[in-house]
Amino acid sequence: MEYFIISLLNGAIYGLLLFMVSAGLTLIFGMMGVLNFSHASFYMLGAYFAYTLSPLIGFGMAMIGASLLVGSVGVMVERFFLRRVHNYGHAHELLLTFGLSFIIAELVKLFFGNFPIDYRIPVSLDFAAFRIGGADYPFYRLIMGGIAIAMFALIYLLLTLTRVGIVVRSAIYKPRMAEALGHNVPLVFMGVFGVGAALAGLAGAVAGAFYTTNPNMALELGVMVFVVVVVGGLGSLGGAMIASLLIGIITSICVGIDKSLADLFSLLGIGDWAQDIGGLLTLKLSSLASTIPFALMLLVLLVRPSGLMGEKEHL
Amino acid sequence: MNAPILSLRNLKKSFAETEIIRGVELNIFPGERHAIIGPNGAGKSTLFHLISGNLKPTSGEIIFNSLQIEGLTPQEINRRGLARSFQITNIFPKLSVFENLRLAVMQRHGLQYTFWRILSKVPLIGQETDQLLERVRLQARANTLAGELSYSEQRALEIAITLACDPLLILLDEPMAGMSHEETDYMVDLIRELTTDRTLIIVEHDMDVVFSLSDRISVLVYGQVLATGTPEQISNDAKVRKAYLGEKVGA
Amino acid sequence: MKPMKFGFVLGTTLLLLLPLVLSQSLLNAAIQMLIAALFACAFNLLCGQGGMLSFGHAAYFGVGAFATLHAMKAMGGVGLLPTPLLPLAGAVAGLAFGMIAGWFATKRSGTYFAMITLALAELLHALAPHLKSLFGGESGVSAMRMPAWGMSFGNSTQLYYLTLIWVLASLGLLYLFTHTPVGRLTVGLRENSHRLRFLGYDVHRLSVLVFAVSAMFSGIAGGLQAVSNESANYVVFESHLSAVVVLNTYIGGVSVFLGPALGAALMTFFGYAVSDLSRSWLLYQGVLFVLVMMFLPTGLIGLISWWNNSKAQYGFVRLLPVAILWLFAVLLLTVSSVFLVELLQRMFSLDYRALASVNPVAPWPAITLFARPWFPGVATTWLPPILIFFTGCWAVRLARGRWQALLDNADVDASLSETAGDGVKS
Repeated sequence: MEYFIISLLNGAIYGLLLFMVSAGLTLIFGMMGVLNFSHASFYMLGAYFAYTLSPLIGFGMAMIGASLLVGSVGVMVERFFLRRVHNYGHAHELLLTFGLSFIIAELVKLFFGNFPIDYRIPVSLDFAAFRIGGADYPFYRLIMGGIAIAMFALIYLLLTLTRVGIVVRSAIYKPRMAEALGHNVPLVFMGVFGVGAALAGLAGAVAGAFYTTNPNMALELGVMVFVVVVVGGLGSLGGAMIASLLIGIITSICVGIDKSLADLFSLLGIGDWAQDIGGLLTLKLSSLASTIPFALMLLVLLVRPSGLMGEKEHL
Repeated sequence: MNAPILSLRNLKKSFAETEIIRGVELNIFPGERHAIIGPNGAGKSTLFHLISGNLKPTSGEIIFNSLQIEGLTPQEINRRGLARSFQITNIFPKLSVFENLRLAVMQRHGLQYTFWRILSKVPLIGQETDQLLERVRLQARANTLAGELSYSEQRALEIAITLACDPLLILLDEPMAGMSHEETDYMVDLIRELTTDRTLIIVEHDMDVVFSLSDRISVLVYGQVLATGTPEQISNDAKVRKAYLGEKVGA
Repeated sequence: MKPMKFGFVLGTTLLLLLPLVLSQSLLNAAIQMLIAALFACAFNLLCGQGGMLSFGHAAYFGVGAFATLHAMKAMGGVGLLPTPLLPLAGAVAGLAFGMIAGWFATKRSGTYFAMITLALAELLHALAPHLKSLFGGESGVSAMRMPAWGMSFGNSTQLYYLTLIWVLASLGLLYLFTHTPVGRLTVGLRENSHRLRFLGYDVHRLSVLVFAVSAMFSGIAGGLQAVSNESANYVVFESHLSAVVVLNTYIGGVSVFLGPALGAALMTFFGYAVSDLSRSWLLYQGVLFVLVMMFLPTGLIGLISWWNNSKAQYGFVRLLPVAILWLFAVLLLTVSSVFLVELLQRMFSLDYRALASVNPVAPWPAITLFARPWFPGVATTWLPPILIFFTGCWAVRLARGRWQALLDNADVDASLSETAGDGVKS
């Protein structure tokens, strides 16, 4: 039972982190129709910037500083790179952001080395929040979840209640109309891009200290974020939230289950047959945990191609 | 009396809360040229989308050539002999005019999965494509990229592609949109010529075109057919005048 | 003979004669270049011609490699698949896997499609280490090339010819494919798949077919790699290979059939040539890709047609100074940025940092670059390359200005001759 609760908590928190990154991605896609392949690179940059700033200005300030830095990188990417190729079409923009993600990864390897770096939680934050069933639950995990929830609430309130938020939403929905009404839509685009990047950077700064920080982070998370977006439906914040939590929780629960399909079959009496076949059937769920989101994605594609909450494409 | 080639029976379409098509009843007879007119927002394009398979009806039936086609995919409907053109030109911009037409012609020869023959060596395809080009008077532009044609040439290509399917029923969605007077006259003659032995449903706003080209007219207002009849009947119909045509001075 | 045909004959003859002039190690590089070229062209069938951007194409390459290795082990050079025919196993595996993966991926289009291909490749990458019988775990699968048909296949020359024949045949088939009905439909898919539906085509099935063919030829490339390396490891499924084929294809240029082959050959060659000198080759490749995407969308092969068209339009004499200016600018920018990157790379490497921290008070030790010492702590190390870089930027502006002047003059000439003509008429 404790295992279940812990997995649930872990999974929810990981899901919330996923959401922080995919929310920005989904907003940017809804707004510009472009999938920013380098979005997960912003996540990575956030971790690396925080790592660099941490000894200089302290852990908390470093997180904020890193987030701001990544936000400005995002603004520059939009202003100097994306805007140029906007006229060549969506495929071109996608390819450009793909190239940028490649360059960012190589630059990180150049300055920090092609191996994980020692970005850690400060000792002051490294204690247990409570005990469940004999195991300590790290306080820091709760902080991560808390920050993610706070960010989500802030963005939601900003978008729905403030004037700026309404302008942003109108620019996302109908950019040309908003421009005709006198709003500086290019500025809004740049702003949303920057905020989305900053969110991803914050997620990286927060998570990188707890999980590993290495030049492959962007790809590992990036693929998950894409799965979230396919499952949840591109452009839907609600879908992204549901998909993130779903993926986070399922992965988390499976990681601790050392049983395989063959064990399930043995309950039905055909265990030996399954053991003989081997291969996929004898793989433990714990090893397969990281592949389950992909299976979920394939399932969604079969059953409901536009995603859990996405708009239906025309036939 | 002929059996209708296309029947719409109590056809309805809603998008979430909004009902766009509210119960359309319509019969189109083989060989006729039938125009659908109506104010903007009446649902004319939606009707075309429903008939051609782009949208699924919320309820009701569409019967084409004795077959129920509501809910079928666009390709299944097209293979049964129904082809449509698009209001916003929907061609293959980076391919030549010849290639554009050839793609449409190929399908009727069953070549969609053929990868073991060189296309230019398959007999008849090139010939048919050339013939089609001649009929729409685009043979001089055969090797021009479709994206570089003038607007009215593109509209002509749009219609030619629709025709290449050799359809029983052809749906033209505002083919004259954005054309000058001369271009329109030219296009009307072309359409009349090309649809001599087919059935045509045309959506148009240009009343001269509608009255000169069609055998019968249906007036669509707020998702329902207000009236159907010959051009004379329609222009004298009081309801139609009130809703759409406007009162004539000194009828 | 038409110039194109002549070019092909010349090129093929050159390729056939290469083993006479190249050393064994260079020949190995040539083999890798050929394989990369085939992979890129196979990829381009789906991407440049079909308009379906795949970010996980290494999956089919890898599947082909492993299938070929298993066939190598099973057959031992004789039987159904003697050594020269081994890549067929790669073809079959690529085709089969491509059909399954393609069925899922083509259910969506555009951006979604790209994401799904990426996720499928990652799925394979995550599963592969666990399926030890298929993929061999950490050490991978290996097999030995066996003699067949009277040849030992023990040296690079024979291997080269085997690879060359397969690559030429595959490229030929791919080219012929573009002239078949399905090949034409592939371009139709890219241009307007929506309209194809309304013309009676089952777009999903068509897309799966194209995907499968592209995967099949990728599998052949993978098979050739397996025959050449005699081993494969699940690392081949990593995103790196998928990324590199995208870069190669677009750097070469997607609108011409052999563009991707050119890009792949060039990039593979540079990778080889530069790998001993620099650790940052991938960075350079990425930067080149981004520059091409932003400023040269038709790719490097587009440069050739640019040159030909401009020469015809403006004349060689007027074109030459502009071209030289551009070349000069590019040279300056390349030299200065390469220098800076190499300097930075060494400065931030672990070894150097260890060296520098030995004596924190002393100035940072010298870095040897191009056989000279450079002290990172001194301005004279940084100033020259930075200056050269800005000079390069200024040269770019100059070149742009001259090019614009050329265009404007041509317009003026054209309008002048028009009015002169009108004058004569009236």
